[in-house]
Amino acid sequence: MSRVAYYPGCSLHGTAKELDSSFLATAARLGVDLVEIPGWECCGNTAAHATNRLLATALPANEMAKVKDDLGLDRVAVPCAACFARFMATNHEMADAETARDVAQVVGRPYAGDVGVLNLVDFYHDEVGLDELKAKATRPFSGLRVAAYYGCLLTRPPKITLADDPEYPTHMDEVLEALGCEPVEWTFKTDCCGASLALCEQSIVIELVRKIVANARECGAQAIACACPLCQVNLDSRQGDIAKTDPGWVEVPIVYLSQFVGRALGASDADLGLSKHMVAVEAVLA
Amino acid sequence: MTTIDATLARRVNRGSGENAYKCYQCKKCSTGCPVAGFGDLHPAQIMRAVQLGAVDAAVDSRFIWLCTGCETCSTRCPQSIDIAAIMDELRMIARETGRVHADAPFANILKLNYQSFRRWGRLYEVELLALDKMTRPSGMMDDVVMGIQMFLKGKINPMPTIGDRGQMKRMAQVADRIERDKRAIGAAMELPDTSRPLPSDGGAL
Repeated sequence: MSRVAYYPGCSLHGTAKELDSSFLATAARLGVDLVEIPGWECCGNTAAHATNRLLATALPANEMAKVKDDLGLDRVAVPCAACFARFMATNHEMADAETARDVAQVVGRPYAGDVGVLNLVDFYHDEVGLDELKAKATRPFSGLRVAAYYGCLLTRPPKITLADDPEYPTHMDEVLEALGCEPVEWTFKTDCCGASLALCEQSIVIELVRKIVANARECGAQAIACACPLCQVNLDSRQGDIAKTDPGWVEVPIVYLSQFVGRALGASDADLGLSKHMVAVEAVLA
Repeated sequence: MTTIDATLARRVNRGSGENAYKCYQCKKCSTGCPVAGFGDLHPAQIMRAVQLGAVDAAVDSRFIWLCTGCETCSTRCPQSIDIAAIMDELRMIARETGRVHADAPFANILKLNYQSFRRWGRLYEVELLALDKMTRPSGMMDDVVMGIQMFLKGKINPMPTIGDRGQMKRMAQVADRIERDKRAIGAAMELPDTSRPLPSDGGAL
């Protein structure tokens, strides 16, 4: 059994509770012992790097110093794509000696930038592995057509995320395929959903969501898989707004990758968090 | 009247580490930008404005408050300029100099978000949304029904979940002091402002 530190982040204890519960259920079934970082704090999100760069770099450094020194572990699972990007940015920036010195002053101890960071896709694709997933999928899907939606921060910017192909990534598609799904080729894999503009520039977000979901459906998808709490909540919750002005709108369920994995591994409906969605997911996950 | 301020590109460079003069206006950033069509300017125009030192075009724009930080521009820029980091820096300059665009609700969200995680150690979403509605009346009725639906589904916590507040407070204080000192030293070493009126053709902006 491998041991990996776990950083849930704010969203997984709020709007993305089903990501938290489904992720934990899959890790237990896949033989990965997740150790939650004690007293974890917010990664700083967009607000920190648009306000105080040093604090933005120091907050993830504080968490990863705990992983290394307090838990004695060398890698951390960060299922939220936005937190993941902040953790990776910190590791990237610690190569600069002046930044490393300032961060050590803020955190109160040095951090070398050497803790591995696994996003939701990495966790299944690399930590667990596709063969292991196939072997443990006792309830595989039979050809469900799914559009893998990566959004922004799993892959961009590649110098920070170290993504293989930031314009047309495929690792999430490979995980879905291992579960028996049929990933579709489509255009909007890495387009932005509007992120937290959803709180104040709703008309922009509705337009972005409309383009993304419509393209996935036109390319044959019966569901969209995602690995980011902001992507999920925007794509899930804004389809109701779209339907108000477009009566012919056909809803597409927006499902976390961990929910697909959990379903294939036989996790319970409660752990999968089926009741938490705005667009019903029972048809694809039941 | 538009004025050009030759210190703008240097201020942006000091904060973000990025050199706006490397931009040769290919506009790849703008063609990939998800919000380019929704604002007053688009990213390539912001870059040109920074080069020209047109503070009232760049810093005062609504566009810098629409940037989602999706990093498409920074990923695709053939000159490897981190354009999203420049947008962040322009936001900081806008706040420091009291020039935030009048129609920039996202500025309020970012400010409340920043205060929220510093106060609780983690984001307290209900408080953030409530304070936003109190301080930004135009958004008062937005998404009320959706908020209630999400609350009923247990996706919104009425009470905050709290991180290590003592460590957060300590880190925020030290980071504030170091950043403030750095920005003050940078400003003190700045060359004299050579502002002058922009030519009437707008410098081909």
